[in-house]
Amino acid sequence: MNSLRSSFGPVLSLVIMGLVGVWVVGMIIGPQLIMVEQSLWNKEIGGEAAQISTRIDRLYNEVDTLAFDKSDAEALDESTDRTEKIAAITAEIDTRKSTITELEATEVKPIKVYSFRNYTLMGASHFFIFLKTIAAAVAVTVIAFVVCYPIAFAVAKVATPGKAAMIMLFLIIPYSINELLRIFAWLMILDNNGVANLILGWFGFESIPFLGSGSGVFIAMVYAYILFMVFPIYNTVETLDGSQIEAARDMGASTWQIHRKIVIPHAKPGIAVGCIMTFMLSAGSFAVPNIMTRGIAEPWFTQLIYNKFFESSNWNTGSAYAFTLVIACIVFIFMMMRFFGVGIKDIAK
Amino acid sequence: MSNVSSSSFGRGSQIILNVYLVIFFAYMFLPLILMVAAGFNEFDTPSVTTWKGFTWKWFGVLAQDDRMWSGLVNSILIAVGVIIVSMPLGLAGAFLITRLQSRYNGLLYGIMVSPLLTPGIILGISTLIFWREGGVSGGLFTAAVAQATYISSYTMLMFMARLKRQDVTLEEAALDLGASHTQVFRRITMPFLKPTILTAAVIAFLQSFENYNTTIFAIGGSHTLVTEIGSRMRFGLSPAVNVIGIIFVFLTITFATIYVIFREREKKRVSALMG
Repeated sequence: MNSLRSSFGPVLSLVIMGLVGVWVVGMIIGPQLIMVEQSLWNKEIGGEAAQISTRIDRLYNEVDTLAFDKSDAEALDESTDRTEKIAAITAEIDTRKSTITELEATEVKPIKVYSFRNYTLMGASHFFIFLKTIAAAVAVTVIAFVVCYPIAFAVAKVATPGKAAMIMLFLIIPYSINELLRIFAWLMILDNNGVANLILGWFGFESIPFLGSGSGVFIAMVYAYILFMVFPIYNTVETLDGSQIEAARDMGASTWQIHRKIVIPHAKPGIAVGCIMTFMLSAGSFAVPNIMTRGIAEPWFTQLIYNKFFESSNWNTGSAYAFTLVIACIVFIFMMMRFFGVGIKDIAK
Repeated sequence: MSNVSSSSFGRGSQIILNVYLVIFFAYMFLPLILMVAAGFNEFDTPSVTTWKGFTWKWFGVLAQDDRMWSGLVNSILIAVGVIIVSMPLGLAGAFLITRLQSRYNGLLYGIMVSPLLTPGIILGISTLIFWREGGVSGGLFTAAVAQATYISSYTMLMFMARLKRQDVTLEEAALDLGASHTQVFRRITMPFLKPTILTAAVIAFLQSFENYNTTIFAIGGSHTLVTEIGSRMRFGLSPAVNVIGIIFVFLTITFATIYVIFREREKKRVSALMG
């Protein structure tokens, strides 16, 4: 606090603290806590209260029907019959309305009941979808590392400066093209009468329902998030002194040994960041499954969360599902930090 | 850092690497090329397998699309809101981390970068729930707030990188000579940060404009250009979506080329300075 005040003075220091406070409490921690809180309760109404509320609902319906009768009666020709009818209906409406007010006074508001029910009621099928989503995200991460490590190394250490700049440009272009468009490109390829099935047809194979089977989601996911592995690894490999590699080679180390003993240990923080980003984007992707399943394949976990919120509007269960995903990501981040022996400071650079 | 001289790599591995690069970039670019091609196809669903002839007509169809235009307006409104929120927040965060000497620095820093490690949909959901408690339902406002939560982390990291290179003695000298804190802030600190303010604003705008996963959960019944594209891709398919793809690809290639050229110039300048 004093160190801050000595550089900015009291007024600016307060402004800075205030802004950080709004961000940290009001935008990061607060919303997360409310989401967790929401996942821990359900609205419940007791048996008797439930009966009362059904009675109230029924009375409201009757009032509505009577109102229709009344307007019908009003449309009749002028006669004594008409005024009598209207009077009778109005009386009926009034008695019902007074019963409603009586009942509503006794009606109990549904009460919040705290429990872990939203988590425990997930059910085998939804839990299986959760596992499938996590497994797919891990697989995407592994594939991305295997494919991207040579590229990152090539740009950082092997290519001539001109060629490296060229490769960099070719990496940045697909990387910055909107996620949805990258997915859409694969929708066109994997569609039933898309390019992939056309080529399979040329070789006499039966066409494969990529979209209906859910494999399309995985293929598009690899494509959409693979480049998030390249840049973090490139950034760390670039800081490695090339003479270390040459020295190792002069002393007779094989290519495999050089990578295992020199390059990869040096690039650990970058690899950890790449893995965390790729995993997090894949596990938390709503765009890919939403477009690539087209509503015919089995949903992915993020789609289940979406449905809980916006289709069955059960926000409590939805929050529980969402927090389950957060926990999976936190566990993955700590596993990566353990595995690569890096701290949070190394990760967020 | 120095490169490994090519002599230390055998010709054989050099060829393997080149072949690998060609295959990789074919994998990266072919799908995009197909998507661009389908935007010029006369056939009325996006396809390259059924080719009915070259046409520009889908550009016209897109220009007539009111929902796309209103989405574009909403996207820009949200992005401007995000810039207004995330610039001061990121700046304040960066000042706090670089200048505050406290044992909570690490923890605070961890919290402030955590939105970058959180799935986008979670940011959307938690913001939506948080504001509903206060009686605000999903819309452009909640979408902007949800996006600003993590875009502020980006701007903070950018400001931090700049502040690390700042010569603090300059500020101290000014203070010793009797300048007020406000004067130092206005005359020394802010001018030093000026170039970063511009780049951070551009990055914030682009991040916001492109966002799908956070926005779709926080936006309620409204829509942005990108969420609209998302629902088009899923349901009513028309090559107008490919035309948007063509425009995005064109803009991306232009800006990426400019960026790389600047980056190379900067690199050359730095290495020239360092001898």
